[in-house]
Amino acid sequence: MQTHRTITFTLNGRPITAHAGNHQNLVELLQGQGLYGARESCGQGLCGCCTVVVNGTAVTGCLTMATLVDGADVRTIEDSDGGQLDAVQQAFIETGAFQCGFCTPGFILMTRQLLDAHPNPTEDEIRHYLAGNLCRCAAYTEIIKAVRLAAKKRKG
Amino acid sequence: MIPFELAEPRTLKAAMKLLDAGDESVRVFGGGTALMLMMKAGVFQPTRLISLRGIEKRYAKVTSGQDGSLHIGALVTLSALGRTAAVKKRAPVIIDTLRTLSNVRIRNVATLGGHLAHADPHMDLPPVLMALDAQVITAATSGARTLAVADLFTGYYETALARNELISEVIVPAQSGRRSAYVKLTTRAADDWPTLGIAVSLQMNGDTVQDARFVVSAATEKPLRLPGAEAVLHGATISDAMLARVGEAAAVEAELTGDARGSAAYKTELLRVHAGRAVRKALAA
Repeated sequence: MQTHRTITFTLNGRPITAHAGNHQNLVELLQGQGLYGARESCGQGLCGCCTVVVNGTAVTGCLTMATLVDGADVRTIEDSDGGQLDAVQQAFIETGAFQCGFCTPGFILMTRQLLDAHPNPTEDEIRHYLAGNLCRCAAYTEIIKAVRLAAKKRKG
Repeated sequence: MIPFELAEPRTLKAAMKLLDAGDESVRVFGGGTALMLMMKAGVFQPTRLISLRGIEKRYAKVTSGQDGSLHIGALVTLSALGRTAAVKKRAPVIIDTLRTLSNVRIRNVATLGGHLAHADPHMDLPPVLMALDAQVITAATSGARTLAVADLFTGYYETALARNELISEVIVPAQSGRRSAYVKLTTRAADDWPTLGIAVSLQMNGDTVQDARFVVSAATEKPLRLPGAEAVLHGATISDAMLARVGEAAAVEAELTGDARGSAAYKTELLRVHAGRAVRKALAA
């Protein structure tokens, strides 16, 4: 029975070869690469803390089989443009859209996706799009402000 | 989770052959989110899984029939379904339902075929597809079958699919002016599992109901048509008094069960109150 395999994928722009088990999830695979930004929290796809972008699409890392990213482009919160913060990260800092920060990677990645799809989102669109991300510090009011500010910053 | 083998066939035919191998724990999957949850909880421990992601691309497409129907490949993700202009035009109730169905990331990978084959009675699209009188096409090495979505579900997480059979396509027939709505009642977040789901589809003639399908879900072993509520609607003229009778008939007829999201008595009261509202929502659609 072949339960493990060697996979190759691009992780934040770098080519990676890894040995992974079919029973492992994407968060575990990333942890093996020393990346802890995507973290398993609820374990059920409800909270968004394990958000990872695979081939340009946001997925639930803890419900994604690791071996299925073979050949894919994988992006995490650690992906950055030479250490520069982007408009979304800046907006979260400026509005204080977090307290403990545990959920923040997921919110940042989902906000980027939201703004890619809807550059000028309504409050209703923001709320629906981010409904699958939970912040137990309840910084929701500031997060919505951050999304609006990020939209404005992106337009320049 | 325990280790298992993962097969990634390139064709539907190859997938069907792998399913034929006789191993009881073999399962096919599309997005795999529901399956991952069951494996993580330890309630399902397969020795082998078959990913359908690599099979022919046509099973991940929506095509519009000349007659106004929609042919939705089983591997169409819920996100892709929600972005399809033809779905918005021909069955807008599906788009409305997808808005609060789980969340963006799950919709990005979960497929319509998997959503149906999982047969969790709390899922949102099964009652909607029943109200739209949709059908599934199944595939197996022994041949294809066409089943009404209503006949696909046989019980709690139980379907009429044989061990070696999978869903290849979903057909939503032309709605020809029917108006449909889904009411999702939640006690926690808007995108939580429903406490109660009500799907309604009406063929109107002016103010008179010519034909009605009334489906209840999430408080039953499987989504159910309620013929008693439908009988009140048939041939009736819309009025508050008539809609109250629909709610009464539905509440008397449906034998709802309670769970963590509400007792049977609470859900029955929700049904009594929201039956008429669901009809109004369909009329406004």
